[in-house]
Amino acid sequence: MRLFLALASLRRHRSRTMLATAGVAIAAALLLDMVMLSGGMRASFGNLLTAQGFQMRLPPRGTLPFDTEATIDGAGEIIAMLRQKSEIIAVSPVLGATVRTTRDEHPVTAFALGIDPSVQGDYRMESGRDATDSSSLVANVEFLHAAGLQLGDTITLAAGYNPQLRAFTGTRALTIAGRARFIYLSTGQPAVAMPLRSLQAMSGHLKDDAVSVFMVRTRPGADVEAIARWIQGTIPRVDAVSTAQALAKVDERLSYFRQLSFILGAVSLIVGFLLTTTLVTVSVNDRVGEIAVMRAIGVSRAHVVHQVLLEGTAISLGGALLGLALGLVTARWLNTILSSFPGLPAAIDFFLFQPRAAWTALGLLVLSGIAAGIYPAWRAASLPVARTLREEAVA
Amino acid sequence: MLLLLLALQLPTIAIDQRLAADAKLRVGDVVVVSAKPGGEGDSVRVGAIIGRPADPSEVARSEYRVRMHLESLQSALGYGDRVDRFAVATRDSTATTDALKRINEAAFGFHAHRSRDIAVGTSETFHVVSRFHRAIGVITIVASAIFLLCILLLKVDERRRDVAALRLLGISRASVMRSVVIEAAFIAALGSAAGVGIGWAVSAIVNWHYQSVYRTPLRFSIVTPEIILLAVSLSLVLGIAAGVLAARRLVRTPPLALLGR
Repeated sequence: MRLFLALASLRRHRSRTMLATAGVAIAAALLLDMVMLSGGMRASFGNLLTAQGFQMRLPPRGTLPFDTEATIDGAGEIIAMLRQKSEIIAVSPVLGATVRTTRDEHPVTAFALGIDPSVQGDYRMESGRDATDSSSLVANVEFLHAAGLQLGDTITLAAGYNPQLRAFTGTRALTIAGRARFIYLSTGQPAVAMPLRSLQAMSGHLKDDAVSVFMVRTRPGADVEAIARWIQGTIPRVDAVSTAQALAKVDERLSYFRQLSFILGAVSLIVGFLLTTTLVTVSVNDRVGEIAVMRAIGVSRAHVVHQVLLEGTAISLGGALLGLALGLVTARWLNTILSSFPGLPAAIDFFLFQPRAAWTALGLLVLSGIAAGIYPAWRAASLPVARTLREEAVA
Repeated sequence: MLLLLLALQLPTIAIDQRLAADAKLRVGDVVVVSAKPGGEGDSVRVGAIIGRPADPSEVARSEYRVRMHLESLQSALGYGDRVDRFAVATRDSTATTDALKRINEAAFGFHAHRSRDIAVGTSETFHVVSRFHRAIGVITIVASAIFLLCILLLKVDERRRDVAALRLLGISRASVMRSVVIEAAFIAALGSAAGVGIGWAVSAIVNWHYQSVYRTPLRFSIVTPEIILLAVSLSLVLGIAAGVLAARRLVRTPPLALLGR
């Protein structure tokens, strides 16, 4: 009965109700987007880091993986030290370098990874076979398209460009054994991977046995932070960055977006609240005579309060449901914009839909709807019945 | 005394304020710098503490900056007499074009670029952020427009008894309509003025907060005359539109119906 009366009151001023619902819907959409932005980026990055089962990265001390051109010498020695730790079950050394094709006047430049194919966690094979011997490589579809190559072709690649001499440190003919999708690289970036020794030889890092980063996989249930501390103490040349620490770094670098999401989320919630409060207050002001009559014929204060609160909640709920659908569309649009950040891995989503985000947004909006009805409900419940009836009769 | 003399003979470096604050370093302190973690390194003296430039590309990177004499850095890195780049100042844009042409024709082993072209090439991140801000701005403007429309419609709608009384007194529809629209425009103008004030205050708070968080002189929020013009115009247009819509509905409704009779 109370719900029926509340809805009847909203139906009486259709255009006003529709406009308020539209306003709440846009506020709800923005709120959902901001809740998705605040947690989605972190969750997406966490998923990316743990996708291949490596819980730790070891870059040169003071850097982040592939953040600079710094390398770590003596990779073999470090791997041997890491293997002493029983909780470490796999170590994947990775060297990054820039390579280019040499066969025509328009060389294709690509990012190259030197890896150990048996433990690598940087790419997933799509077709063909892995680069298991020193004369083969795997490439992504972007490189194959840019260079006009296909599986089985042989290509000469050069690395270690010296601009003073306009010469390369090393060149090598390599056969394209397979096509792979590189997990951590940005969209459209041509990339190849080959055995570590091949790339070290080409880029002049063979003598130092240098790598850019180690990826470390630990035994399930192992204390990753304790292992990280052990590595930091044992190998002073590297930093041990666990997934949690990497996420903290990401939080630090992208804290702007988190704070923006908090501010805009709060603003949208306030806008929705104000809109609902205004509408319900005006609605109560319109019906003071009607409410006074209801009270005069014995309708309880609680009944009036419930009815007004239901009006506010109905507007917020209606707007929220519309807004959640609208929010998913706008989130996709905003995500497309932010995904074009240069160097951002293609698998990263800034706006990741998580059911918890939707429930949080819906819950906040319903709460704001209830809160929005409190003032007009109090006003309706505290009307002096006799005086209001007399004033209405005179008017 | 001898130690002081030795320290004064050391090569000097300049460090940024952030590093000086975090590492508690002062001008005159002697530190060891090394190109490789754990390496032996060279002793140098802190000769100056420099402020950080307002560079947006550095804002989210909590990196420290150290300025060294070229030969010190070359020696530390084992670079020989190599450099990464030269910055060349020219008299004017014609001289720049001429210098670019001549250098690129004659140079062996490097290429000359116009500073502006490099800036365009390295500012893609800010273009993305700018596009994101514009998108958020569009959503916010739509939400504000609906909010404004709704509030003004309600405000005008509240005047229906007054309008009914005016109509019953014989005031023409056109006069009533004009008065309602003028009232709506006045409210919109008043709201715009308050909005500009609040916007300016929020902008100041945002700058104060983020400048202290990121320890940078960069201005994160700027209230420009163009932004004020856009906000005020939008507010006035929407206010007047809402006034016209609500007033038309009011003057078309019979006065007695407006009074609920």
